Amino acid sequence: MRTALILSFVVLTGTCGEISLTHAMKQIGEVQHFSPAAISRVLLHSLRQVWLWIAVGLMGVSFYAFLTMLSWYPVSFVVPATSLAYVTGALGAKFLLRERLSAIRWAGVACISLGVALAWADPMPSLPHLRNLYILLREVVFVAALAPLAFYLFSGWAAWRFFRHARAQALGHATDFMPPVSILKPLHGLDRGAYEHFASFCRQKYPTYEILFAVRNENDPAVPVVRRLIRDFPRIPIRLLVDQDRKGTNDKVGKLCLMAQEASYPLLVITDSDVRVAPDYLRSVADIFRDPRVGAVTALYRAMEAPTFGAEMDTMGSLSFSGSALVARELEGLKFTMGSTTAITGERLAEIGGFAPLLDMHSDDYELGRRIAQKGYRVELVPEPVEMEFPSESLHDYLRHELRWLIGLRHVRPGGHFGLLMTQGIAWTVAAAILASSWTASAAWVSAYLIIRLLSGYVIGVWGLRDPVVRRKLWLLPLHDLFWFFLWLVSFSVNRIEWRGLVFTLEKGRMIPVESRPQGA
Amino acid sequence: MEQTISSTRTLKAKTYILLFLMIALGSVGNTILDKGMKSLGPIDFSTRSAVWQGILHTFTNGTIWLGICCMLLFMVCHMLVLSWADYSFVMLFSAITYALVPLLGYIWLGEYVPIARRIGIVLIVFGVFLVSRTPPRTTQPISDRSLS
Repeated sequence: MRTALILSFVVLTGTCGEISLTHAMKQIGEVQHFSPAAISRVLLHSLRQVWLWIAVGLMGVSFYAFLTMLSWYPVSFVVPATSLAYVTGALGAKFLLRERLSAIRWAGVACISLGVALAWADPMPSLPHLRNLYILLREVVFVAALAPLAFYLFSGWAAWRFFRHARAQALGHATDFMPPVSILKPLHGLDRGAYEHFASFCRQKYPTYEILFAVRNENDPAVPVVRRLIRDFPRIPIRLLVDQDRKGTNDKVGKLCLMAQEASYPLLVITDSDVRVAPDYLRSVADIFRDPRVGAVTALYRAMEAPTFGAEMDTMGSLSFSGSALVARELEGLKFTMGSTTAITGERLAEIGGFAPLLDMHSDDYELGRRIAQKGYRVELVPEPVEMEFPSESLHDYLRHELRWLIGLRHVRPGGHFGLLMTQGIAWTVAAAILASSWTASAAWVSAYLIIRLLSGYVIGVWGLRDPVVRRKLWLLPLHDLFWFFLWLVSFSVNRIEWRGLVFTLEKGRMIPVESRPQGA
Repeated sequence: MEQTISSTRTLKAKTYILLFLMIALGSVGNTILDKGMKSLGPIDFSTRSAVWQGILHTFTNGTIWLGICCMLLFMVCHMLVLSWADYSFVMLFSAITYALVPLLGYIWLGEYVPIARRIGIVLIVFGVFLVSRTPPRTTQPISDRSLS
């Protein structure tokens, strides 16, 4: 059984890898020139092909499994057995790559696979370098499996540092730095509890501020809720804007352009429609701008409740994301902002050209933070996380939007997306547990992962963010990691995203609507 | 018509040149790696520190890096040839390595070749001969496809 399993694994992953490589190279087209410069250009072009990376992954896994097989069986068995790959390769070429295999080529397949089996079935001199390589690579897997564990520990420590400092600061801290604020809320439809979310912004203990809402048209279901808000809070200047002309593919940024024009005050605080905040929220946000080196402010967030399994997974996802954000903050400073809060002064916004350059960007909040950081300003976090209403989504919805996020990340920050490899705790732990020399060692790997992961999740989510869902469902974290790993793999091969009912492809972070692409492009 | 014949010739010529390079680089690379590993002597796997010492020795050895370079060049040739030739053609053609290794062992080292292996070598060579009778490319290039 074990033999059949490893053999099929070696053969299938190897064949799929070779077929992906062929597909990637066929996408580039026939190489006509062979000067070093021309070859370098082809190689650089090939590195941008998703299929090439899939091929590298599959071939790497296949080669490693081949080495594993060599460590279990003699070469006189392994090489003949894997000659089966000629048959699967020919089938793959015919059905997947649409190559035309004539009777003569099929005869070649038969002769060669039989020939390899016969020529190598007798005891041959062993291949010592392959056997050694297996053991050396196994050590490398063990070391790599330590990386996500170190990452979890580090993110727990970063959370402990951040929240301890934030709470110490909150005690007895009275601020007098309160510039007038314009709160900008782009809306699209209605979230559960929308009125209460909006009302929390009307109950701010802050001297001068206004709230601007923007919708695409008067029929948006959010309009009556905003009108009610205007009636209920007559002392707060609240305006509802209708942004009728579509300026770019990112609808939210279109609304932000309009609101920024209409805003009366120098400090802009943008939040998603499903965010609820405490009465001293604006004070905490504004106070950070006392330091002139700060260019933008963003906020971590916690779930208010999670009505479905999909929403619970989403909460685990935001817990992981908060951990990564806190690690990034410790290592290089934040270089992005989040939809939960993006606060920026009009002056800094003008320095990066306003919102207009982000009109076609998929990850607009990420881009805004990145551009601010590029100008040499700091992006800071509000000490207290805001609350967010997670939608009652199904698991399928959750997987889809996480995939969309990962695809977006791959386009705006390919290195960071690839680097997620070293944070895939569950995958590395399983690999290390399989390769471990004894059951005890395997159990040690699994226990180390579970203990460290749950401990860091507790520090970030329960102690730091004070997330009520994480408190009850922390044990779902490893399951989230498993979903996350598979989504990460899938995100290498997908370029299309669906957003608010429209389909887009991404090119360098820009959303290109699929419908408007020229034929044959 | 003339142009088609000459482009078919060019295609065949560059396919065979790259396949030859691939096979040569692959075999030489493997041999050099094997030699490099042997020159290090047996790696001691008894303790973890010994294994890491082995890793360090392996990756500071010039011969091994030469072998790795050969394998990288092999990969480049493999990628280039796949940009036009069929995968089924390249895969089957490169199987000649499995015949070359025991054959070279016999010619250079005078190793004994049992009868089953001789039959195997003959079958591989015959199989590769059959494959070489088929055109290296049976699919339409991408640029033609988008025009049609």
